[in-house]
Amino acid sequence: MNEPKIIGFLCNWCSYRGADTAGMARMKYPPNVKIIRVPCSGRISPELVLRTFREGADGVMVLGCHIGDCHYSTGNHRTAKRMPVLKKLLEYTGIDSDRLYINWVSAAEGEKFSTVIKEFTEKISALPPFMETMK
Amino acid sequence: MTDRLTSVREIIKTVLPGVDGVLALRSGPGGIVAPYLFSKEHPEELAKLAIWPKEPVPDTLKIILKAHPEAKIAIVCRGCEERGIVEMYKHAQFSLDNVTLIGLQCLQDEAEFCRCAKPYTVHAKTTIGEPIEGVPDSLTDKIAAMSADEKLAFWKQEFEHCIKCYGCRTICPQCFCNICALEDEIWVETGRLPMPNPSMYHMVRAMHMTAKCVACRECEETCPADIPMAVQFRLIARDVKEMFNYEPGAIMEQKPPQLLVLEEGDYARTGLPH
Repeated sequence: MNEPKIIGFLCNWCSYRGADTAGMARMKYPPNVKIIRVPCSGRISPELVLRTFREGADGVMVLGCHIGDCHYSTGNHRTAKRMPVLKKLLEYTGIDSDRLYINWVSAAEGEKFSTVIKEFTEKISALPPFMETMK
Repeated sequence: MTDRLTSVREIIKTVLPGVDGVLALRSGPGGIVAPYLFSKEHPEELAKLAIWPKEPVPDTLKIILKAHPEAKIAIVCRGCEERGIVEMYKHAQFSLDNVTLIGLQCLQDEAEFCRCAKPYTVHAKTTIGEPIEGVPDSLTDKIAAMSADEKLAFWKQEFEHCIKCYGCRTICPQCFCNICALEDEIWVETGRLPMPNPSMYHMVRAMHMTAKCVACRECEETCPADIPMAVQFRLIARDVKEMFNYEPGAIMEQKPPQLLVLEEGDYARTGLPH
């Protein structure tokens, strides 16, 4: 079991607040996820995700508001449209598409946040380090 | 082949008086086939008319219409080129108000050469030749059936051949962004060959071809390293068809998914949690 490096892109309005909620409730979750706050999950372009992998991340999480709750009304529709395609592209290139994780976490869902992080870290821990698979 | 060439020439002759020019292919000096705008002033050029190998005429149409937006142009296009034109129109590259499409149906051997699923035109009012059935894309199916490790090894080997000439980007009729992400140092490292794995260049390009690639295979044709990159575009196109029920260039009125917000049904098909 290795210590995976995971980058989590969290939407400022829902998921980042959700992480806050989890923290305030003193919920425990693995420290492997490095959180990057973004204005909207729709900001996360496929290029950003690919570059994150290129820089050596073992897993990438994109967490945003639930569909319909976006602060910018349809920002997360972009995420919902392009991330599944990116997952498919990873699969077609021979990269485990499980390394990219997309989910919706609202500001109130502190518990969901900690579960999601726990599950994803466990999943990535079982995989070999990303850069090693690329050699 | 001669028959078709003659009928294309006849059709151009009948269309020519009503338009400012007809865009088709001409066998130029040294027998090099390239797009050419046939005009009323030089009808003798029609003797050098060519139809094969195919060249990216949608791009030429865009250049002409950019300089002369009011020009009345007729264009001889194959199925893939027609789809390219329609897709460029949907992304507001030009208006089709003054454009007449003349469809040229591909022959069986041409379709097989391109592994083309749709070697026929659907929008053009005037067509030459009989439409034929598409051919199955055996290479794409073969790669799709590989295991993850095999895929990784295959693409690693292919992308190692890439010399980053940007030919596939330049020739692609659907690559028309004013600022290209592939030229940005943030995404694609310069001065490193073979490019590090995973190849940012090819993966970013594949993402940008989502719901845009019309399967003309100009990129593969132009590639000096013979990288079968259209395979990835084709695989993604199958998913886009499933997820968003969208086929680039197929229906003139249908907006591409990039420009739309998701509807309930689309969302369910993307396989994301609720």
